[in-house]
Amino acid sequence: MLLIPCPFCGPRNESEFAHGGPVRARRPDPDAVSDAAWVEYLTVTPNPQGPVQEHWWHVRGCGTWLTLWRDTTSHDIVKGPDDA
Amino acid sequence: MRYDVTCKQAGLSALFDLKGPQADLWGWAGDHLPPMPARPNSLTRRGGRSLYHIGPRHLLLRTGIAEEEALERALGPAAAPPQISIVRISDTLTFFAVTGRDADQVMAIACPLDLHPAVFGADAVSHTEAFGLKAMVLRCEGGFECAVEQSHGDMMQDYLNRALT
Ligand SMILES: [Zn+2]
Repeated sequence: MLLIPCPFCGPRNESEFAHGGPVRARRPDPDAVSDAAWVEYLTVTPNPQGPVQEHWWHVRGCGTWLTLWRDTTSHDIVKGPDDA
Repeated sequence: MRYDVTCKQAGLSALFDLKGPQADLWGWAGDHLPPMPARPNSLTRRGGRSLYHIGPRHLLLRTGIAEEEALERALGPAAAPPQISIVRISDTLTFFAVTGRDADQVMAIACPLDLHPAVFGADAVSHTEAFGLKAMVLRCEGGFECAVEQSHGDMMQDYLNRALT
């Protein structure tokens, strides 16, 4: 179980949060990138072995959306939200 | 084992959901509000009204149900400036009072929050979960109050009954 640092509430149990998926690259202009790069953006979700930046929503708490870095090998939060 | 706890469903409170920048909320409705709570997830009280700071730019104003109509007229939600929102939500929450010597034990079953008085003091209020349901928890005389969405009231009562036996 993760203890997730919320900027408003402080550290809270993972069960109070909803996972919002990894932080994705900015949407490229489909006319300015190759077909391969566009397909990559549309279909490939970041799934590194190591730290991944993720969105979490404190849905059963204060309602804040936050981003943090979680290591997919250890499940540790290696960097919390900047303002937590 | 049996817990020394009483669980009672409370009657309706008058509740107003307030959202927006603090300066704008106070500019519009400050005369009718207790002072702004100093910290996140804390509350203030004045003249029978209490004000819960439950999220960024998000407050809950609570008072007796008898005051609901007069307070709504005073708050004037329909005419409020666009950067703030005032919504009467009295019917949306069901409050339970969990009181008695073992109230903290029952709340520890329900809820993942650290409710030790050193962490969750007399003026604390927070949304969290209770038996997996989204819930708002605060202290009251002799224990805790726990509010869940109105449609979850019967389920909450059932969970509490099971936790007590
Ligand atoms: Zn929070």
